[in-house]
Amino acid sequence: MHALNKPSMTQAAKRAKRKLVLEITAYLSPIILIIVVFVFAPLAIILFFSFLKSGEYGQIVYSFTFENIRAVLSGGYGKVFLQSLYLALQTNVLCILFGYPIAYYITRYGGKWKTLWIFMIIVPSWSSYLIRLYALKTIIGTNGIINGLLMNLHIISEPIQILYTPFAVALGLVFAWLPFMILPIYAALEGLDRSVLEAATDLGATPVRRFFRVILPLTRGGLLSGSILVFIPTVGEWLVPHIFGGSKIMMAGSLVAQKFTAVGNIPLGSSLAIMLATTLILILYLTIKWGGREALEKAI
Amino acid sequence: MKKKKIASKVLGAMSVLTLIFLWAPVLLIIVFSFSTNKYGVAWDEFTFKWYLKLFHNDAVRDALIRSLIIAGVTVVVSTLIGTITAYGLYKLNFKGKQFLRTSILLPIVFPSIVTGSALLVFFTRFIHIPLGYPSIIIAHIVFCSPLAVFIILGRMQRFDWSWEEAAMDLGATRVRTFIRVTGPQLMPGIMASAMLIFPWSFDDFVITYFVAGVGSTTLPIYVFSQLRFGSTPVINTIGTLFVALTMTGMLLMFLLQKKTKTSG
Repeated sequence: MHALNKPSMTQAAKRAKRKLVLEITAYLSPIILIIVVFVFAPLAIILFFSFLKSGEYGQIVYSFTFENIRAVLSGGYGKVFLQSLYLALQTNVLCILFGYPIAYYITRYGGKWKTLWIFMIIVPSWSSYLIRLYALKTIIGTNGIINGLLMNLHIISEPIQILYTPFAVALGLVFAWLPFMILPIYAALEGLDRSVLEAATDLGATPVRRFFRVILPLTRGGLLSGSILVFIPTVGEWLVPHIFGGSKIMMAGSLVAQKFTAVGNIPLGSSLAIMLATTLILILYLTIKWGGREALEKAI
Repeated sequence: MKKKKIASKVLGAMSVLTLIFLWAPVLLIIVFSFSTNKYGVAWDEFTFKWYLKLFHNDAVRDALIRSLIIAGVTVVVSTLIGTITAYGLYKLNFKGKQFLRTSILLPIVFPSIVTGSALLVFFTRFIHIPLGYPSIIIAHIVFCSPLAVFIILGRMQRFDWSWEEAAMDLGATRVRTFIRVTGPQLMPGIMASAMLIFPWSFDDFVITYFVAGVGSTTLPIYVFSQLRFGSTPVINTIGTLFVALTMTGMLLMFLLQKKTKTSG
């Protein structure tokens, strides 16, 4: 009996396996093709290029060197990278500080206006990023409405310089990325089990204690996915420092853009991009390992 | 009880201020787009003339048409790929699935500057895809289809699959079941993803700027090229149209979502 069954079993298993392979090919080959050809391959190529030299006229010289990597890790470039990481961290913290209260308010007190509130937060996150930055620039510029208002109220006698200061860059970053923090936190708060909160209150927890001991730990996933959506793109920001910092404040993204466009040192630009990508993949990996995957996919 | 009320008031005030912070700049450029102020930074008198000027601006019209074509192709292709990928990821279990899911996430969370520069080098130095429509559309599909995958996957997780089981029990093949039963039922979710991808592609600046090459000015690239002249009423009008477009898309999506809820 046993001996008789065995061959047919393996045959069935084989058939099931072949069917699975066929189905994977049918459903998943387009996305695998896209990821392999247009994400992994380009990354591999800029990794290769980052070990090459740039010639006098910006052409690529095919000789192996560690020069770019050394340049990226030391001196001025390294400093800009650290500054980018710092600015991204600062933006992330500010987004949590401003985002958590509004997400909490909408969940608890939103009532029948909940959908409208969420709509008002989703629209900026989906409308043109460039246009929103332009709008903010219009407001804080020298002829902008803030300076106009302050001058009309005789608080200041001549326009103050807001644009092209570190403050303007910090403001621009929070303005650009805040919605992406609010939404995952809101989703996490909405998913909270009411009975847990009631239990905490019944057991005598004060509202403050309940918040820090129950609500905050339970919404960790939302905070984590919001942080991925804010921190990672912010490290590589180029437009915000370009528009609000001028040439004074640079971030990692500005360096990459500069090397690929104006100056045209593709090997050095590739090294900078690879360095940026490596840092971010590492951060992403650690976050996912720490339990952010589910929350992250939910946030999207 | 009273303490609670104060807490909610404070939270409410903070929330309103945050919302004002997010919306005030956008609302102001909408207002200024109807103002006669020629720098576009203050309210003088009501006018439509900037909109008339906009529609007679050839550069803007070309850029707009180009952006619409790119976004249109991107939406169709990305939504198709997104749908079958999400279906495959939902239905099949295999080794390496988690790795695949993480890889699909990469183009979404990566800074545009890395994707843009890597694709530029790839297109110009490796496979020689002409810069312009082909390179821009490929780049857009690369960052839009992963988004479609996760939006549609999210819908599938909330979907009632008993219909599909019934169809397959009655002898329909998986492909036929998908075309005749599951697909149509998932349609609102698929449409919602298309609604979200359209602005995502239409608005993209950084990646497009890198892979566009010379002469392929999309609307965001046009706006960017005008930025160094400071604020202008014409950019205010373009901005207003952008916001109007996004809001229409979002409204349609909300309506579709409501429809799914009531019918499902």
